Amino acid sequence: MNRNARLILVGLILAVIIASLAPFLASSNPDGLESAAEGFHEAEGKEASYYEAPMPDYVFPGMGSEGAAGVVAIVSGTILLLVLGLGVLVIVRKQGDGPIFPREG
Amino acid sequence: MHIPDGFIPLWQCAIYFLIAAPFVYLSLRWANKELDERKIPILGVLAASIFAIQAMNIPIPWGTSGHMVGAAMAAIILGSPFAGILLLTLVLVVQAFMFGDGGITALGANILNMGVICSFVGFYGFKALGSIPVKRLKEGYNALSFNSFVAAWASLFIASIICAVELWLAGTFPLAEGLLFMGLYHFVIGVIAEGVITSVAVVAVVRYREDLFAFASNYLPRRVTA
Repeated sequence: MNRNARLILVGLILAVIIASLAPFLASSNPDGLESAAEGFHEAEGKEASYYEAPMPDYVFPGMGSEGAAGVVAIVSGTILLLVLGLGVLVIVRKQGDGPIFPREG
Repeated sequence: MHIPDGFIPLWQCAIYFLIAAPFVYLSLRWANKELDERKIPILGVLAASIFAIQAMNIPIPWGTSGHMVGAAMAAIILGSPFAGILLLTLVLVVQAFMFGDGGITALGANILNMGVICSFVGFYGFKALGSIPVKRLKEGYNALSFNSFVAAWASLFIASIICAVELWLAGTFPLAEGLLFMGLYHFVIGVIAEGVITSVAVVAVVRYREDLFAFASNYLPRRVTA
């Protein structure tokens, strides 16, 4: 396996491990901005929703187990970003460059 | 630090889109000029890793939590703030459209805070620390680890201060208390989440693939190849 393929594989495995653990290990406390907002009457009732995301709050809809729904959502997001990232970069990178996975031999 | 919809009036959201847009354009130009088949895989892996690690909220005192942003990490490894801007733009777009994390209308402000500001502070902070004429800050893995830690911490802290000002201008946060609480929470999140993880990740990537690290010749002794 060439070093690019190995890097992608190692990186993807690490990212998927983090993504799979996140629903169980991540703190459900509000984040810094939400915590600050909770203390200010100016911010009360301001949060709006102009758009319905398909997997709101990192939960895959329609799954019984909350943990599993979180894992499916976050792992699919992780894989989506790898594919999207590589795709966008291959499109915008400089032209006439060598292949990422050269044929061996 | 993801600003939700409704916190910033629409006309101000438009201004943040206009400020962020040229930086996103320049990051695409950077990719077009600088990226080769050696750098694309690490950027793809960083995009996936940043998304995954952002889902891992770490608890801090005061019933609060926070996660790493990761822009400083990308900017330091690839040696350009535009690496961080490009990756955070991708991550923030996916988070807003797929997961409802960060508002659609606040996307410009979020790209500005977590993409542009975190990347520039992380990158130039790291560069400045390495140029201080003290041997301990200039050579070896300890210097690399310390400088990454401080630059990453500063990237989150300063972005949170600017975020507090934006929310004050939006009429959503009071100025003094907004600065105090945003600053306090992100001071701590910056140490635990941003600083420590960036430091570990930068050293790990450099140990594994020294050739990908833009500042290798500054920190590491030149290998003698016979």
